[in-house]
Amino acid sequence: MSFYIPIGPQHHVHPEPLLMKFKVEGEQVIDVEINVSYTHRGIEKGFEYRDYMKGIFLAERICGICNAAHTLCYTQNIEQLLGKEIPPRAKYLRLIVEELSRIHSHLLWLGLAAHQIGFETLFMYVWRDREKVLDLLETITGNRVVTAYNTIGGVRRDITPEIEQKIRKSLDYLEERTKYFKKVVMEEPTVLVRTQNVGILKPREAIELFAVGPVLRASGIKHDIRADDPYIAHDEVPFNVVTYDTCDVYARILVRVDEILECINMVRYSLDHLPSGEYRIRMPVIVRPPPGESVSRVEAPRGELLHYVRSDGSDKPYRYKVRTPTLANIPSTARMLTSRGDYIVYIADIPIIFGSIDPCLCCTGRVMFIDIEKSKSWVWTYNELVRYSLKRFERHD
Amino acid sequence: MIEALYKIIEMILFPGFAFIGVLSLLYEWIDRKFYARLQNRIGPLYAGPHGILQPLADFIKLLSKEDIIPEGADKFLFTLTPILFFAINLLLTLFLPICGTTGVISFTGDLIFFVALLTIISILVYTAGMASTNRFATIGAERAVLQLIGYEIPFMLSIVSVAISSRSLTIKNIVESQSSIWHILGPNFLAFIIFAITAQAELERIPFDIPEAEQEIVAGWLVEYSGKKLALFRLGKDVETLLLCGLGATLFLGGPLGPVVPGLEIVFYTLYFIIKSIIVLLVLTTLRALFARLRVDQMLVLSWKYLIPLSLISVLIVRVVF
Amino acid sequence: MPRPGYMVSEIYKNLLKKRATILYPFKERELVHLPKGFRGRIIFNRDKCIGCQMCFRVCPAQAIKIIEDERGKRPIFFMYRCIYCGSCAEYCPVKAIELSDIFENIAFNKKDLLVK
Ligand code: SF4
Ligand code: SF4
Repeated sequence: MSFYIPIGPQHHVHPEPLLMKFKVEGEQVIDVEINVSYTHRGIEKGFEYRDYMKGIFLAERICGICNAAHTLCYTQNIEQLLGKEIPPRAKYLRLIVEELSRIHSHLLWLGLAAHQIGFETLFMYVWRDREKVLDLLETITGNRVVTAYNTIGGVRRDITPEIEQKIRKSLDYLEERTKYFKKVVMEEPTVLVRTQNVGILKPREAIELFAVGPVLRASGIKHDIRADDPYIAHDEVPFNVVTYDTCDVYARILVRVDEILECINMVRYSLDHLPSGEYRIRMPVIVRPPPGESVSRVEAPRGELLHYVRSDGSDKPYRYKVRTPTLANIPSTARMLTSRGDYIVYIADIPIIFGSIDPCLCCTGRVMFIDIEKSKSWVWTYNELVRYSLKRFERHD
Repeated sequence: MIEALYKIIEMILFPGFAFIGVLSLLYEWIDRKFYARLQNRIGPLYAGPHGILQPLADFIKLLSKEDIIPEGADKFLFTLTPILFFAINLLLTLFLPICGTTGVISFTGDLIFFVALLTIISILVYTAGMASTNRFATIGAERAVLQLIGYEIPFMLSIVSVAISSRSLTIKNIVESQSSIWHILGPNFLAFIIFAITAQAELERIPFDIPEAEQEIVAGWLVEYSGKKLALFRLGKDVETLLLCGLGATLFLGGPLGPVVPGLEIVFYTLYFIIKSIIVLLVLTTLRALFARLRVDQMLVLSWKYLIPLSLISVLIVRVVF
Repeated sequence: MPRPGYMVSEIYKNLLKKRATILYPFKERELVHLPKGFRGRIIFNRDKCIGCQMCFRVCPAQAIKIIEDERGKRPIFFMYRCIYCGSCAEYCPVKAIELSDIFENIAFNKKDLLVK
């Protein structure tokens, strides 16, 4: 006897709204249907109604946790359009904040993964130690999570020697703790049995289904934008692309934990080799890039992030397009969640398998209206969206 | 006449229902506070000094909540199970030797009766889940029974090895046989470890909180219960915790026995019992903080591959020694 | 080598440590960590402002409105719209705007969140 169980749109392991409809037989999952479009926010359209400077702050809000990656991607894009090169010190500073927020994101994920397999103690410890890196981000940028650090032409604040000392001290602590967490993951048998051979994604499937980021690297494929298409100072700061080839959730945990250690070394290296000089070039408030288009790619904590911009010479983008890593990883999740052959997915594995792609759904929602009866589809314009949201807002005001 | 009155007072006030109620809420607080401290958190804080009244506050809050019976549920069973669950747990506490070597109820071979009723509690979990006809509850109920198949045998065997070493199936005799040396200090140490692990499964706590796995099936078999029924279940669970800690203390740590001042036996016995069962509780809480939740098939593998052979070995050792 | 209960020494070590949680809203407020340069509630200095409206133009959240008072044009700030980006403070030519470290910007009334 098989029946359907819904996970979402409200489910306390995935606080973000998505609906996964599982066809289960006893404890085994047979089939899954994923619906991600619960949080469409009209961001791409929103870019077209803001000038380039204000767009930075909108880009920042695509995703709270990867905000450094999003603004980095956005500002790079606009700088490419303008044909401007940012000063070398700004490149290093951008890298430092990017890597710190990667540490933050991966630690957050490690805690969540522990929570998803019911290991509450590890969850608490990881999140306690994550505060250290949040404090660092707060000291550098002025806010814990939403950094507002990158801007067109460089970064907005400089790192003083005291801050540098503080970073180094916290990094030592973080390194020690991360190594400890890695040991826990590798030696605690209950963690091992819950993660090994769970959520298998073969390398070929990973490529076929366009997996990105740590999911891809955990399938043994060496792919990292930082190494393949270096941006900011990544061509000068050495690091290893971490790969594991067991293709399961365990490999994804280890990839992320090892990446934290790599990030720590990268931040240390860039603090040692921080060039002197300006940290930003002043830009006018209204920038008008020449007509043209540009693409920039960034390795966000969750994988490859792609921004595309087309300019028509005015002070606002003509079209802005964002491809976020979670959206790219959804097809591979569907594959991981389906039993096939002697690979069986249990209901108990659902949270950790879905969690292993580090889902961030607020940047994934896409919307299109489809009228099945008239077989017509259409999209809303920005003004329609605004009118709709204002109407909703007034009702609650 | 006086005898009967005395029994009734014993049953209702001390060491009966009222005392047990207070004690079980206290144990929940200890469990939560200790668990929180192990995780470097605070735990309950605001209700009463150090949050000691938090379990009571939770209970009262739940009592005042709306009580919903889902449309598809079997109304009779749905209402009956929480009451039975609570009642059986409460009944079983009367067997615990709290203020003397015997409990309020005691007869020859009462250990068998005790253990049999403990199994019924798990069956009640199954009926609770099935009666609510929710999908998550159904899965939770199935898991509860599967888990029962896993932990019941090692649990019984660990008790059997104690019974063998004291050559009795009566709780009174088992307690008295420990007047010189506790069972845990002898060859029954292995049995104690198995008892602690399986008690964790009986109580549905990490790593065996499989039937109510919060992250997977929301609250499992409890998912449809609300208001007074949920309050009864929660209190029943607390009493069950007390029950198993008390059982552990009785079987392995010598129950209420210890050096006493003549004339004040009741006070001392009660104190010893509480201290010893809190020790067992702390062991259980530590176990809860150490592991990730297992999957139900892994739980069965664990128990049939490791726990059952180990408990058989323990029985064998005890049989050879005694 | 897998070892069941790997964290046992760690959890008992933490039992003796001071708790990580701070009792923030009621006690121990001084333990809240706020570095220099924190971006919090806006503090506006009317005497410095020259009414150039730069802050109004750069504000991405339209949290600033320009009004007229007896000394000419000046901004007012709606903190319930503000996203604490700090653009206004950065672009103000005379540094009349400052982001303070007041981070509790919650009120029952929208008027309480108006910075004048
Ligand atoms: S901080 Fe940013 S959002 Fe707030 S008023 Fe200034 S410019 Fe506007
Ligand atoms: S930018 Fe500064 S000086 Fe200009 S209006 Fe705003 S507050 Fe006044």
